[in-house]
Amino acid sequence: MAVRIADYFTLHQRRVVWLTVGLQIMVTSVLAFLLFNSHFNPLGVAIFVLLPVVVLQAFAFIVVLRYTLSPLNVLTRAIAHISKENNDVIPPNINGTYHERTGLKPMVETIYNLTVSEPKTTAPKNSELETTILEHIPSGIVALNAKREIIYANESAPVITDPKNQRSIQLLFEGKDNLDTWLANSEKNAVSDMHAWTRVQSSLPDSNTDRRIFDVFASYSKNGTGGVETLIVAVDRTTHYAEDEEDMDFIALAAHELRGPITVIRGYLDVLAEELQPELKADQMELFRRLSVSASRLSGYVSNILNVSRYDRRHLQLHLREDRLKDVYSGISDDLGLRASTQNRLLNVTIPDNLPTIAADRNSLSEVIANLVDNAIKYSAEGGVVEVTAAVEGDFVKCIITDHGIGIPSSVIGHLFSKFYRSHRSRQTVAGTGLGLYISKAIVESHGGSIGVSSTEGQGSAFTFQIPIYATVADKLLGDDNGNEGIIVSDSGWIKNHSKFQG
Amino acid sequence: MVAISTILVVEDDRFIGEMYVRSLQNAGYKVDWVVSGTEGLETATSKLYDLILLDIMLPEQPGTDVLAKLRGGKDLIPHSRVIVLTNFDQDDQSRAAMQAKADGYLIKADITPRKLIEIISQMTTVA
Repeated sequence: MAVRIADYFTLHQRRVVWLTVGLQIMVTSVLAFLLFNSHFNPLGVAIFVLLPVVVLQAFAFIVVLRYTLSPLNVLTRAIAHISKENNDVIPPNINGTYHERTGLKPMVETIYNLTVSEPKTTAPKNSELETTILEHIPSGIVALNAKREIIYANESAPVITDPKNQRSIQLLFEGKDNLDTWLANSEKNAVSDMHAWTRVQSSLPDSNTDRRIFDVFASYSKNGTGGVETLIVAVDRTTHYAEDEEDMDFIALAAHELRGPITVIRGYLDVLAEELQPELKADQMELFRRLSVSASRLSGYVSNILNVSRYDRRHLQLHLREDRLKDVYSGISDDLGLRASTQNRLLNVTIPDNLPTIAADRNSLSEVIANLVDNAIKYSAEGGVVEVTAAVEGDFVKCIITDHGIGIPSSVIGHLFSKFYRSHRSRQTVAGTGLGLYISKAIVESHGGSIGVSSTEGQGSAFTFQIPIYATVADKLLGDDNGNEGIIVSDSGWIKNHSKFQG
Repeated sequence: MVAISTILVVEDDRFIGEMYVRSLQNAGYKVDWVVSGTEGLETATSKLYDLILLDIMLPEQPGTDVLAKLRGGKDLIPHSRVIVLTNFDQDDQSRAAMQAKADGYLIKADITPRKLIEIISQMTTVA
């Protein structure tokens, strides 16, 4: 039966005790026999008693020591063999049944196994081999020095070389969580740091270049060896994400299909309500309003789905133009007012006239406001008040949508802007896709702004988004945009602002 | 500074076409309606309209082609305004191409006939 490693020492100790006792008995018997035959002659005692005792004791102890220490010897050699110290110890041979019986074999095997996960580094350095491996590994590897210059990039690395022979990393990070900001932060605050990004593309979908999508891992270490401060590994996941893209295409197609019937429903409700107005009773008109509100909500959800599908495929592109928050709001105020009144909520909108203009994509920003007001309506009680206010804060115009409803537990606030996130409680009682806040955040951040929430459970929530003041970003926008002609944008799409309109 | 009065609707969906025709007529506009790209092209060039409402997904030839033929080289409809009405958002390039040629671009599902009339009432004829 195999001996457990943990039991080995006890067993061995017992064997040593028995051996020692046995030898002592044997030695004592011999001594007694000799004394009995010596007749107490001093010389005889010395020769026939003391000498044999000394010799036999010495022999006995050598035997005991050899036996007790032999496993220790084996273990020491085994440990010495796997250690990284330079020695010429011969590894113990543990084959055969003896060590198996005593239980030593599994101990030595365990020691040997320790080296399996950690390969020996005593093999001579082969820099040529390493270079070849690095060069052909199916992932991009880029090394940066302290000045963030590329000092190494392998074959698969998403790196481009411009005509002046300057190399640069070709990765389009989304929003503020990008390599530069992470590096800047690491350089300032960390000795070593690691970070990962998923789904980073090398170019825009519409460009003609071969678009690759990477998962990117970076490690930073201050004053790293060989001048390498930052090491970036870009794993090409294009094929993996292509499947997602196909799913998204399907969703986009399905959402587009939904728009046909929605157009008809919204349109005929509009036509019917107008034509039947003289004959309809007040409560019947109210039913028409509810139908219209529901149909316009439906069209809002479809827009959310389409925008999310664009955003997730990195197709969402905004056209920022000089605009007033008040004008953006006025495009949707009828719709939102109707939504509030049909659900017995009071919508108070106070957007000052004298706010500076903002750089906005009117359609997208309208969707953000509609989503936030819609949520405020959903999560407040019958008869509740929803307020929309706006003010200047630094380089931004901020807009605050406040409700006095159920509020949001602090434990879920962090998840609010995640895709498909809906509070546990709301899942049963309130309809929605869970995409509204996710896409709102995406849209606001694409404007160069930010979105946030403060809430007290039971007292209500206040969602705030900030959009840059046009004057603070005008230079950049004019540089990007060639046809910056004036445009009147309706609540959906755009209409060219012909100068004649102003007469 | 003359308000829009004659409108050509190029729309293949019967429900949607009738809806626009009916509401625009109720609002006092003179409306013609055709259901294919080719008819749209012919009608737009054979009769003067103040405004053309042009769908994109059309049989025979898509609205983008119609618009390219009407306004691509020589402007064949110098007397007309054009609003592209669609439910299929274009990617950026084709949208930009249309933006250059049309006077407006609207998503059908996002506007009601009332809203459309409001927009048209703010427009004026070309000359």
